[in-house]
Amino acid sequence: MTYTLNRTSPTANDVGQELRIEGLAAGYGKVQVLWDVSLHAAPGEFVAVIGANGAGKTTTLRAVSGVVKPSAGRITLGGVDITRAEPSRVVALGLGHVPEGRELFPHMTVRENLDLGAAMSAAARARAAETLGEVYALFPRLQERAGQLAGTLSGGEQQMVAVGRALMARPSVLVVDEPSLGLSPLMTQTVFEALKAVNAQGVTVVLVEQNVNLSLKLAHRAYVLENGQVVKEGTGAALLADPAVREAYLAL
Amino acid sequence: MSARNVEGGTPVRTAPRREITPGAALPLLGFLLLAALFPFLPLGSRAEFLLQIAFFTLVAGIMALSWDILARSGQVSLAHAAFYGLGAYGYALLLKAGLPWLLAMPVAALLAGGVSLILGAVTMRLSGMYFAIATLAFTEVVRTIIQNLPESVAGGATGLLVPALLGGNSRAQYFLAWGLLAFTVLVSLAVRLTRLHFAFAAIRQGEETARVLGVSIVRFKLLAFFISSSLAALAGVLYAGKTFFINPLETFSLANSIAPLTTSIFGGLYTTLGPVLGAGVLRVAEELLHNSVKNGYLVVYGLVLMLSILWLPRGLMGLRRGRKHGGDL
Repeated sequence: MTYTLNRTSPTANDVGQELRIEGLAAGYGKVQVLWDVSLHAAPGEFVAVIGANGAGKTTTLRAVSGVVKPSAGRITLGGVDITRAEPSRVVALGLGHVPEGRELFPHMTVRENLDLGAAMSAAARARAAETLGEVYALFPRLQERAGQLAGTLSGGEQQMVAVGRALMARPSVLVVDEPSLGLSPLMTQTVFEALKAVNAQGVTVVLVEQNVNLSLKLAHRAYVLENGQVVKEGTGAALLADPAVREAYLAL
Repeated sequence: MSARNVEGGTPVRTAPRREITPGAALPLLGFLLLAALFPFLPLGSRAEFLLQIAFFTLVAGIMALSWDILARSGQVSLAHAAFYGLGAYGYALLLKAGLPWLLAMPVAALLAGGVSLILGAVTMRLSGMYFAIATLAFTEVVRTIIQNLPESVAGGATGLLVPALLGGNSRAQYFLAWGLLAFTVLVSLAVRLTRLHFAFAAIRQGEETARVLGVSIVRFKLLAFFISSSLAALAGVLYAGKTFFINPLETFSLANSIAPLTTSIFGGLYTTLGPVLGAGVLRVAEELLHNSVKNGYLVVYGLVLMLSILWLPRGLMGLRRGRKHGGDL
């Protein structure tokens, strides 16, 4: 299957920006989850962050979004310091976040969930119709389901809405948290290929995943997170060939 | 796009049903038009009495609709009586201070809106039951403060005389109430048709996710409070100017917080038409019952309310066929 994102008139947000995390430490109350996380994604790069449950993948993304306030370290988006910025500012600067577990608004229709994604920025609102067309081109299924309540969709369709909702804000960096959660292998494939298509349009993608095999095949580069620390990094292919990674995450 | 069969031959509806058409505003316009014509009906000898009931129906409509606007942002408040009362007292005290009534009315509303920002800030991190209890406590605090101000200032527990609105002309008072309800309807529609709708709905359905999507929670929650409370204060101004006597116990009564809640639920939450329609139906039903079941009309009224909530989970708005969800204003 092939997907296209027809971006006609590029704006600043159509070009991927760099996301850089340096020495990040964060946690919840007295429980420290991240100890020293440093990673970056170059403009237009597809980066995967893999690791077991509880390694700190989701917390890393939540710190990027500004939902979790880091206790140390520095996060920049396109060179702008967003370390302790409010989530609304981070979104305004070009970050799109597809949260873990999709987190749709179940009592709103598919279309409303998508519209919501564009509602918070004037620039995104101005181009909402155009972006909606792109999202529908990426996920034709969503156009068919536009009037349906989001809560009645299948898991895969809900994941499409979650990705589409983030895209509606025209992000320059898209962070995606565990999209394969609860999806069939076929649906996972569909969603991953869509992310690839989004990336091919120049959007920087940071994918956090437990589906190590697929993520490493898809990503330009990847990081391995263990106990709140980055323990390995390399190209997707190199990590796939790494015996330690194969043993720990692929059970080979 | 045409309907296509996917996944086991289930027909898929392709047209988005949530689109709002101009036609959706027709019932609303119809209701307002009927309400505007009411004083011109041949009401006979009971005209004064009927006009008074109609007046308070409009006030109930303002209260319910303004409460609903706050509820849309996920804040189920029991403090509506506080802002109703602050509007009534603010208006009375501003008149006492020598302000003309036309100025006292909006100033009282804005003051109440300002006070609501304090409550909104304090309750920012609360939700559900804790939020409701905090707003209930707030109402008591405001009432106690007003009651314990020096009697020369706010009349203490006895109450305060308020000059009659528009020289006591019932018809003029009615049209003023109508105008303020129409204004509330316009504000509600503005909330529904702008990004406020998305911000409020997102906060209501999942604050965490709303944040991640870039919704400034603090800003929009406070905005909802300000809009809602200012409008409730306008209802309080109407009440004060109509009854020309206000006291803390009645003005800040819990009933004034509960009624907007039940009216909105009965009419249809998160819509503009629902709470307005609910106020119309409930107030008329209440009066009819009051006349026919002299003793215990409240029991019957309560039963009607309970049954309708049981059978009409989406309120009166749920009765409209072919509109299972969406498209309503």
